[in-house]
Amino acid sequence: MSSNWTPVALSQDVLPGMAIPAHLQDQDLVVWRSATGRIAAWHDRCPHRGMRLSHGFVRGEFLSCIYHGWRYGEDGQCRKIPAHPELAPPAAIKVPRFAVCESAGVVWVAPEGETSEPVDLPGFRGFRSVAVNAAADQVARDVAGQGHLGGCDVVMLVQPLPGGDCGLHVLVADGCADAQLDALSHAIEALRRRLEQGVAA
Amino acid sequence: MSVTMQDHWYPVALASGLRRSARDTLLLGRAIRVALDDGGAPVVTAEGRALPVQVKFGHVWTTLGVPAGDVFDIPEADQPGRRLVEVGSVKVRCSPLRAVENFLDIAHFPFVHTDVLGSEPHTEVERYEVEIRDDVDEVWATKVKFFQPQAARSAQGGITTEYMYRVPGPTCSVLYKTCPPRPGEWDVITLFVQPLTETTCEVWPWMALFDDDSTMTEMIHFQQLIFLQDRSILENQLPALLPLDPGREIPTRADMLSIAYRRWLKRHGYTFGAQLVAA
Repeated sequence: MSSNWTPVALSQDVLPGMAIPAHLQDQDLVVWRSATGRIAAWHDRCPHRGMRLSHGFVRGEFLSCIYHGWRYGEDGQCRKIPAHPELAPPAAIKVPRFAVCESAGVVWVAPEGETSEPVDLPGFRGFRSVAVNAAADQVARDVAGQGHLGGCDVVMLVQPLPGGDCGLHVLVADGCADAQLDALSHAIEALRRRLEQGVAA
Repeated sequence: MSVTMQDHWYPVALASGLRRSARDTLLLGRAIRVALDDGGAPVVTAEGRALPVQVKFGHVWTTLGVPAGDVFDIPEADQPGRRLVEVGSVKVRCSPLRAVENFLDIAHFPFVHTDVLGSEPHTEVERYEVEIRDDVDEVWATKVKFFQPQAARSAQGGITTEYMYRVPGPTCSVLYKTCPPRPGEWDVITLFVQPLTETTCEVWPWMALFDDDSTMTEMIHFQQLIFLQDRSILENQLPALLPLDPGREIPTRADMLSIAYRRWLKRHGYTFGAQLVAA
């Protein structure tokens, strides 16, 4: 598995027009999806007054900061400063971006310029992300090699989070019946509880 | 000898809110205790040492150092007919300096106080005047104009409001704004900030308004609503400390007052709650 890519969210959890906070190691990210469905992962910080862009709002193909409405295009470049509608924003006003791609229903992020592809997981799709109050390496050890959960074939991706927690992204094999998926939801909750109690799955 | 942040006066309680039981709080990172003496007068101590105390604008003020004079004046607040509104305090997880800077900011009204203090598409901030008045050592902004859908509890519909801003101390700001029921007079709205630590503060808004119609509760509620909207911004700025050196944040023309405030803080070494080196 290519280690340059980190799973930060499930595609289904970032609807068109949404911006959410996410993490790449200790870096705070905003992950947002434009009206036409384009995904982006940026530094979670407006260059103007340092406000978190994950509190911002999406209109069309632009993300705006909630503080003063500064509007950024897909390249991270500031396109509008509402306090000065006639002003063309200087090129220096730009939000640093990360490499981002979607596969298997997962939003993957890597440092800008990453040229590899994330791991290919044919036949699986993102089902549920949960935050686990336990260390990533511990959780990764506990779920290693576990390909079944709640009667479904699954792939589990562990993402380190700041503060010593981790994210657990569960992917499920295509073709499971609704009842199986319901059982999987319960199994994920039970797994989380076990992991947080430090008991191997 | 230069005046430091320690030598300024800070609000630490509402005088009307003091009880026999002491209020333990912080000032510039140091533990202080606010209480009433046997005669009912407010007393402030730090590690048992009595600190200077003044009561003004309904608040108890104290200082850890040697103040150059009394708590600043707001002459307009003495005009007869004003209602004096003690809003109470809001604790905020932000630099005390960021709380003041946000109070000095106009351009956020349409986005943070939507349909109350501002609304799209009326987002433009016209050029205004900023100066540091050396005789009184205060930062001032005048001729600030902004379109507001509901400028005050007493406003009927949208109006272009004119503002003046004044910074008489490192964590205090006074705002004068057009008074809807009394053209020609200014409403006085203040933000007195008690610096607890470099990244936490207690904010004590206080107002002296011409408003004969609203109840005290309505006026307090209006100001609380506005400030709670500000708090959701203030607790989500990175870094938490206010950067005083250029480079970390990019201002625009609408930020002339914020730029002047930061320069004034830096020139005086008022850096409790500030970040000095561009990161």
